[in-house]
Amino acid sequence: MSDDWTIVVCVKQVPDAAEVSIDPDTGTLNRADADAVMNAPDYNAVEAALEVRDAVGGTVTALTMGPASAHEVLRAAVGMGADDAVLLTDRAFGGSDTWPTSLALARAAEELDADVVFGGEETTDSSTGQVPPGIAAHNDWAQLTYVEELEPRPEEDQLVAKRDVEGGYERVAAELPVVVAMEFGENEPRTAGLHRKIYAETDFEPVEWSAADIGVEDEVGLAVSPTQVGGMATAEPVPREQELVDDVENLADRIAEVS
Amino acid sequence: MSTDAQSGEDAGVEPEPEESEGPPMPQSTSETPSYDGEFDAIVVGAGLAGSAAALTMAEEGLDVIMLERGNSPGTKNVFGGIMFTPRIRELTDFEDAPKQRFVAQKTFSMLSEEGDATEVSMQPAAWKEEPHNDSWMVLRGDFDEWFAEQAVDAGATLITETTVTDLVREKGAIAGVETDRPDGRLHAPTVVLAEGANSLVSEGAGLAESQQRTDVAVSAKEVRKYDRETIEDRFHLTDEEGAAMHYFGDGAVGDAVGGGFIYTNKRTLSIGVVYSIEDAVHDERSPDEVLDDFKSHPAVAPLVTGGRMIEYSAHAIPEGGPDAMPDLVHDGAVITGDAAGLVLNNGLHLEGTNMAVESGYQAGKAVADAVASGRTDAAALSAYEEAMNDSWVIDNLNHYGWFLDAAAEDKEFLFDDLPRAIADAETDYFRMNDEPKTRHTKSARKRLVGAMGGYLGAAKKAWKYRKLFS
Repeated sequence: MSDDWTIVVCVKQVPDAAEVSIDPDTGTLNRADADAVMNAPDYNAVEAALEVRDAVGGTVTALTMGPASAHEVLRAAVGMGADDAVLLTDRAFGGSDTWPTSLALARAAEELDADVVFGGEETTDSSTGQVPPGIAAHNDWAQLTYVEELEPRPEEDQLVAKRDVEGGYERVAAELPVVVAMEFGENEPRTAGLHRKIYAETDFEPVEWSAADIGVEDEVGLAVSPTQVGGMATAEPVPREQELVDDVENLADRIAEVS
Repeated sequence: MSTDAQSGEDAGVEPEPEESEGPPMPQSTSETPSYDGEFDAIVVGAGLAGSAAALTMAEEGLDVIMLERGNSPGTKNVFGGIMFTPRIRELTDFEDAPKQRFVAQKTFSMLSEEGDATEVSMQPAAWKEEPHNDSWMVLRGDFDEWFAEQAVDAGATLITETTVTDLVREKGAIAGVETDRPDGRLHAPTVVLAEGANSLVSEGAGLAESQQRTDVAVSAKEVRKYDRETIEDRFHLTDEEGAAMHYFGDGAVGDAVGGGFIYTNKRTLSIGVVYSIEDAVHDERSPDEVLDDFKSHPAVAPLVTGGRMIEYSAHAIPEGGPDAMPDLVHDGAVITGDAAGLVLNNGLHLEGTNMAVESGYQAGKAVADAVASGRTDAAALSAYEEAMNDSWVIDNLNHYGWFLDAAAEDKEFLFDDLPRAIADAETDYFRMNDEPKTRHTKSARKRLVGAMGGYLGAAKKAWKYRKLFS
């Protein structure tokens, strides 16, 4: 393995949560109402990828799967400082759940000869958190999930992570290649520089790969997706009991009573 | 760019064909090119003036970049509003524009604090015919986004979420902008300032004076959602017809120079108040309280009751008239739209959008000519100022420039005494009792003449306000 690391960061275009609404009849998201933006935890993933690159040397390639309009999230990542971008786009990908999605991303990461693959902990439009572990599983690579901080050790080909666990944190060292799922809000995503942003949004063009380019044409899409949404129901909000107490002592008493 | 295919520069740009098996690999693009000098003009703000300028320049073949601080055009403005569209209709395929309703009906009402209302309503048949007197109610979030898209389709570049913080000067001339982003300086031979009413860049760079508070109005507005049928029933509208209702008097905005408005969109109403910041400072009520009081006036409440508030906003409106206008042309820069104080409010006409588009268009033409001539100093850009001086924009501002000063002078009379006197006179004139009508008429006349300060006072006021109708 060379000294420089090849880093891939997976990003996803999601409907802007501030604008999205739920159709009360079907229970599905009215995606058309909302602008498409980058999944919020992915900004933390891109920032972490750039920090590791800046510390170790190498390149960061942004990767996404989606229609042509998904160019925009790749441009956002390139604006922040990613060096390249690849869009997996093909009708064959349509209807893929997390299994074929993580397979396609895993094959693309392999094709790019990745040392580290980054992703956000989950996406705001489906919230499964399954894709980064899925990439690791498909490629039989190490995985670091719910990561708060990273310490690259290039001379040992290791990446050390501080992971959020129940009741505290743990430090884990993983051998490369490794998949990292960054926890939301754990770093301060950088602002795109003006000239870089202009470049990313005007002159930059991501490379496009089809399902056949990465050899998964028969392994993706709705037909091979093991999960299917059986139905949706919207829950009415439960009215919550509210009470004003006069001082801290009374509050403590009330909490003791209730619990 | 060189046409010599052998040159090293070109060879570096061309992607090498893949030798190995597998898909094409991405080209590493770690180097960020500099865009200094790559654009002929930088437009500050992608509102109406900015997009009109960018569209005009792009169609003249210029490389143009628009820098917008919102996450999309139109998110940062507040507007009643009626869009006056003569120039936009020429510049774009206006049928495709996101519009709400055309103005089929205009009303002007005098409201007193006590609950009196006198309304004048007009609905000329001509307004129902194309092009509907070029007066459309629009939602600026949708409309500005569409208008900026027209500029982008014509070849302009739009960069959002980027705030211009200052202008760059070289040898005294404006040579670019500074933004809030890292590596945020961008050089270009011309800058079109279309930053809107809160013109901090123009002021900070010394191109415009900060506005006197007497020259600025504050506006508070809410958008409420209703059923389409509710709106059409309440305002007697069909299809695309809309109503623009204007309200004056102390029942509208209290003891202040200003007024209230209701505009009908398809499924929403825009309800707001506009009044001078000078008066706002002396009013113990905040703008949202003034708006609430306006909404609860007995003549207004039935029109706006119910619904669901989906948007609330407050904004500044420049109303200084021709005297408060900054120099429109500088070495390397022009000022357009609200940033140039191009807003007309004389009580009867409330206009700004049309002037913004017109100024952007004229600025765009002048910049294109200047760039073509290779010079962008103030003299080369002066065609913009000349075109504006020859246009209806400045003519209207000059013609009505006196109005707001006069209204401020006569505030007590116009917004307090007059609405009450008119209401009292109406009460007298139409009174049903055992007195003869001649006595009712005499009593009504007495109230009106009294409010105007006698016959001499009435004559003076008629003379003073004659230009409103001349």
